[in-house]
Amino acid sequence: MSLVITLPAEKSNRFIDKVKSILPNGGNLSLCLTCGACASGCPATGLEDMDPRKFVRMIALGMDAEITRHPWVWMCSMCMRCTYVCPMEINIAGLVFEARKLWPREERPKGILGSCDMALRNESCSAMGTPPEDFRFVVEDVAAEVRETQPGWEDLQAPLDKQGAHFFLSQNSREPVTEPDEMVPLWKILHLAGADWTYSCTGWGGENYCMFLADDENWKKIAASSLQRAKDLGCKVYLNTECGHSTYSVWAADKRFALNSGLEIAPMVAYYYEWITSGKLKVSSAWNRDLKIKFTVQDPCNQIRKSYGDVQADKMRYVVKACVGEENFIDMVPNRSNNYCCGGGGGYLQSGYTEARHHYGKIKFDQIIATGADYCLTPCHNCHAQIHDLAEHFEGRYHVTHLWTIIALALGILAENEREYLGDDLKEVWLPGEPGTPDPFAGR
Amino acid sequence: MVAGGGIAGIQAALDLANSGYKVYLVEQDAAIGGVMAMLDKTFPTNDCAMCIMSPKLVEVGRHPNIDILTMTDIQAIDGVKGDFSVTLRRRPRYVDPDKCIACGLCAEKCPKKVSDSFNQGLIMRKAAYVLYPQAVPLKYLIDADNCIYLQKGKCGVCANVCPAGAVRLNDREATQTLTVGAVILAPGFQPFNPTGQDHLSYGAHPDVMTSLEFERILSASGPFGGHLMRPSDRREPRRIAWLQCIGSRDQNRCDHFYCSAVCCMYAIKQAIIAKEHADHPLDCSIFFMDMRTHGKGFEDCYNEARHKHGVRFVRSRVHTVVPDQQSRQLALRYADESGHIQEEHFDLVILSVGLQTAVEQRRWACSLGIALGEGGFCRIDDFAPTAASRDGIYVCGAFAGPKDIPQSVIEAGSAALCAGADLSEARNSLTVHGALPPERDMRGEPPRVGVFVCHCGINIGGVVDVPAVRHYAATLQEVAYVADNLYSCSQDTQNIITAKIRAENLNRIVVAACSPKTHEPLFQETLAAAGLNKYLLEFVNIRNQNSWVHMQDPARATAKAKDLVRMAVAKALRLAPLKEEKLEIAPKAMIIGGGVSGMAAALAFSRQGFPAVIVERDGALGGQARHLFRTAKGDNVQDRLAQIIRQVADDPRITVHLNSELYRVEGFVGNFKSILTAGGRQTVVEHGVTVIASGARELQPQEYLFGQDPRVMTGLELDRRLREDDAAVAQARTAVFIQCVGSREPERPYCSRICCTHAVVSALHLKECNPDMQVFILYRDIRTYGERESLYQQARQKGVIFLRYDRERKPVVNATAEALEITVEDHVLRRPVTLRADLLTLAAAIVPYRDETLAQFFKVPMNADGFFVEAHVKLNPCAFATDGVFLCGLAHYPKPIDEAIAQAQAAASAATVLLSRKTILTSGTTAQVDPRLCAGCGVCVALCPYNAPALKGDGPFAGKAEVNPALCKGCGLCVASCRSGALRLLGFDDAQIMAMIEAA
Repeated sequence: MSLVITLPAEKSNRFIDKVKSILPNGGNLSLCLTCGACASGCPATGLEDMDPRKFVRMIALGMDAEITRHPWVWMCSMCMRCTYVCPMEINIAGLVFEARKLWPREERPKGILGSCDMALRNESCSAMGTPPEDFRFVVEDVAAEVRETQPGWEDLQAPLDKQGAHFFLSQNSREPVTEPDEMVPLWKILHLAGADWTYSCTGWGGENYCMFLADDENWKKIAASSLQRAKDLGCKVYLNTECGHSTYSVWAADKRFALNSGLEIAPMVAYYYEWITSGKLKVSSAWNRDLKIKFTVQDPCNQIRKSYGDVQADKMRYVVKACVGEENFIDMVPNRSNNYCCGGGGGYLQSGYTEARHHYGKIKFDQIIATGADYCLTPCHNCHAQIHDLAEHFEGRYHVTHLWTIIALALGILAENEREYLGDDLKEVWLPGEPGTPDPFAGR
Repeated sequence: MVAGGGIAGIQAALDLANSGYKVYLVEQDAAIGGVMAMLDKTFPTNDCAMCIMSPKLVEVGRHPNIDILTMTDIQAIDGVKGDFSVTLRRRPRYVDPDKCIACGLCAEKCPKKVSDSFNQGLIMRKAAYVLYPQAVPLKYLIDADNCIYLQKGKCGVCANVCPAGAVRLNDREATQTLTVGAVILAPGFQPFNPTGQDHLSYGAHPDVMTSLEFERILSASGPFGGHLMRPSDRREPRRIAWLQCIGSRDQNRCDHFYCSAVCCMYAIKQAIIAKEHADHPLDCSIFFMDMRTHGKGFEDCYNEARHKHGVRFVRSRVHTVVPDQQSRQLALRYADESGHIQEEHFDLVILSVGLQTAVEQRRWACSLGIALGEGGFCRIDDFAPTAASRDGIYVCGAFAGPKDIPQSVIEAGSAALCAGADLSEARNSLTVHGALPPERDMRGEPPRVGVFVCHCGINIGGVVDVPAVRHYAATLQEVAYVADNLYSCSQDTQNIITAKIRAENLNRIVVAACSPKTHEPLFQETLAAAGLNKYLLEFVNIRNQNSWVHMQDPARATAKAKDLVRMAVAKALRLAPLKEEKLEIAPKAMIIGGGVSGMAAALAFSRQGFPAVIVERDGALGGQARHLFRTAKGDNVQDRLAQIIRQVADDPRITVHLNSELYRVEGFVGNFKSILTAGGRQTVVEHGVTVIASGARELQPQEYLFGQDPRVMTGLELDRRLREDDAAVAQARTAVFIQCVGSREPERPYCSRICCTHAVVSALHLKECNPDMQVFILYRDIRTYGERESLYQQARQKGVIFLRYDRERKPVVNATAEALEITVEDHVLRRPVTLRADLLTLAAAIVPYRDETLAQFFKVPMNADGFFVEAHVKLNPCAFATDGVFLCGLAHYPKPIDEAIAQAQAAASAATVLLSRKTILTSGTTAQVDPRLCAGCGVCVALCPYNAPALKGDGPFAGKAEVNPALCKGCGLCVASCRSGALRLLGFDDAQIMAMIEAA
């Protein structure tokens, strides 16, 4: 491009000044050294001939007209890998978030807009618009079925609106709506851990696409109602289902909007770790001793780099190794807080920019392939969906599952119908009640 | 008291001890040397660090007026300037240094192996150890944390084997208090530790290492003996990447806003050396943000690295270093300048780590009442650049801000000057004079030659078969003793040589080693210490002129070394003792130039009690500072300048000659006689030393409509307008600066060093006056080195926009009535930007006066750029090779006021060493006339550049030539020109030379 850049004659009303007034420390937006570390580490570099350095530069030069309604803002997943090493710690994700607002709300990507609006339709806060009564029905129905059909699980509870429960558990809409059996492994895990938990019929939806839509008002509204519901039930811990962005949406909203919930907002994996290390969950990797099936994990940006950090990443590795065997775990490089975003974050999956998303995700795909792993475990719905899609698009021979699946397997509690995401190699391993499968209730 | 035995502390201690003060040199570690002792080579000349440092280490080690207190730190400083009481804590060494003979038996027998911190943990050493082979003092110690006996109460092998009974396993910590008049703090820096920088894979992969670790790998005395290998598999790397600004200019992954000022240059140096060390083509790539080669000779070095050595420079900050399992290499993925992603694999990644003040050191400084700045470095004033916030305490080196060796040495001189000035009344009251043993009368003794062959680590030993040369020397006539040494210049070897001269009754010494230019005086002193006349030494350079140049041909280099030794022995047999003359020194300094540097030098001399004369060609004092507005720290230059001028005027010891120029200079060190002219009147000044502070000026640019459009001006012109509150400046809506106008160009390749900071300071001022003004700085590399980086950061914070251009694609300026239209390509977006400016400031180069006459007067050299050339770029940056002539300020190289003042004080400090001696000895190497052969033709009288020969007026041999040994420099010009063969040069006699030739 050789278009001459025209700089604004006046300094007033510039986008950069507006963003600087919003972000803490002005997002350090003016401090850019144009060193290129951000662009070097960004999977979105090159998309739409844009990269983080160029984006920051255009804003610094006051080229507001050119960045207004720029599609790249939807191709950046706001994963903050740029900021992770930026010597000036420039908040590029914060900037992109504000730049998304330069699109009229109704013209923002339909998928994201729809998911946000759905969550506003009723009190569930579900991105799929599932009403509270439907949620109650599915949960009760599935729980009853397990109690009836799975020996040993006659006491299994999936409490709804239980006053005074310790944990408030959020739920992604995908499971109750499209694959209800996927909810069961987690219930069983909570049961074995002896956790005192509850769902709520309202405010249970763990997505918050309004955050990706850059709709502050409704991001806050959804996060606040969910947190308020947890408080109303007298819960102490807001336990987020395995999902990076939904965890982040609540964790960040509590601070950003000064919601002061007073609740402990915890990612699921932190408690898996606690329950395994305290002996409440007696997972075993013996099933994989001879199989030697290899596993890797995806560190969700929202749960690791952007919020809970390497401590959380290490806990996740502990959990996974305990379930699959240390020798069968292979890490991606780089990993933990410096991990590459898979390309499922930031609303990418709903944004409609599929080609860009695949391009973006190619680095992740290559990383997974380089590990040689048969399975990629993801404690995040967006990572799960994107990495699954990458496997299909680039024809990778790996499977993607949540941690709950593999923990349940390692506990000997994963029923046949709960193995949707497992490959043939694991369809029949340690089926409950089969010879060789440990008895999960032994010693109780 | 000087705290810190690195190069800065060493220099400060030597300056003070040599000018009549008793010095305690306090060092935390087991030996002095600091970080410089760990370095392989030094930039920009790639001199061997240890080679140039070793003479200083030895000088400190045997100085009668320096007490080295190792393993010691300062606990408290009580009292006031002139009367401090310093509490010291000495940690146990477990070896009695007075008894230790450094035989190394304790280390040899010690069963405990531990990581060697001097070698950055790359290899192991024993728990009983010596810090490094050339350590001063060369005394062993026991590492208590790792000693089996001290940890578990069992072992004690070292104590059993020590032949000197020096091991004291019951050594305890001890505290003592010393009373001193002044304190200089030179505790140095700590290299940034990149542990925990997960994205760099440091610690996770052995082939990612810090620059200091790599320095040890390059070093001949390092873990791999100087062979270039990567730690993971000990294979030679083919591709090496340097990542710049690790732990510098980073407020995210560390808290260092500042630039460490030295890393760009050391990376270039390492890349060049690595290429030299490699047996095959080696790809060296340096990933950087701004290339900061702002020092003297640095830009040349950068250009040579690119064009001559083929070092690749990549302007990109790499996000992550990824170990690649398959290739067993390190993958770097980066965005190039145009934004395209590149991926490359390297065998080694060197992290160019920055400098920092250790946390404990910050706490320590605070406890002593020393104020630190934002970056954790000592806070100082631009006009008193080495004075700490507490009166009577001075600082130098990297503790006062990140800096290189020359700047540290300059500050050491400045600090020494200030400390000495505080105590000038007590000069010579506590010092002792090193009593040399009486000179042995060796007349009538048959020649007994001792030959000492040096390995110089692997510098010589890696090429020349040194033991073979030694064996060969033993076969030569009259050679009574031969030895070879790893480092002949180390203090212990010097002591051994002294002992051997005595024990073997040697009376001629041949040293086959490095350059006599740097090391001959050291060995001469060693002879004197053994009671031998120092001229009975013959020094052979088998390094610079042999092992270095014949690196590829070891067999013939060994043969050549034998030839050289044989020739030297032949000459040595004919050496005779020579006498030195004693001369009085005129205790006065003359300073050429009355700018800030010149005035600072004059005031420095006065503070030390010596009169000074300033010669200024202009009608007023002040020099270039008269044009300046503010310093980098925001001081008002004019106010401070007025204070200095007043101080000079009020000082009874300082005489100022304005509108004056040098007409003639006679004499030599100690006894210069200069004739000044002012308006036809002549004044004669007799002075012992001269300081050249003749300054430089701003270039008048030819480009960017300068001189054609009133809106275009130079940096100094902008300063003038800012001082005068020019309305046109204040009302400008858009101001643009163009950097590197006339600098870093083929015809003027050097960087003018101060313009980036100056432009940024000016831009900040404009923003301060009018926050809505749009300010753009068009630059090639921003070089706000050291803590000046904070100004660059502030400017960006305030909205100043920085646009980088290449020399090949410069900005284009067009004038219209409304505005100056400046078009330049944005370096990120790669699209042209047009700026409409009301004000264009050109950062014009600083150009020297190129004063050939002045150079002639004092026989001092100038470089290709026209700046004067100091005696040694690293360790002698403010003296000339010509004795008694010193250098400071812009005449040396462009520099800001604080550095100019420091250099002026350092020059005065070095000169004070001379002046305080009262007398000096001339060289024994002088010409002598045999009057019986002299024809009295007078050719020698006419030729001599030093006016040493004269025709005798009366007495015997009237009309024949006679040489004044005090004036003679021993150059030999007269000897070569004498048609009668009446002249001979002592020490280079015909018979001696002929003997060498015959032996060749």
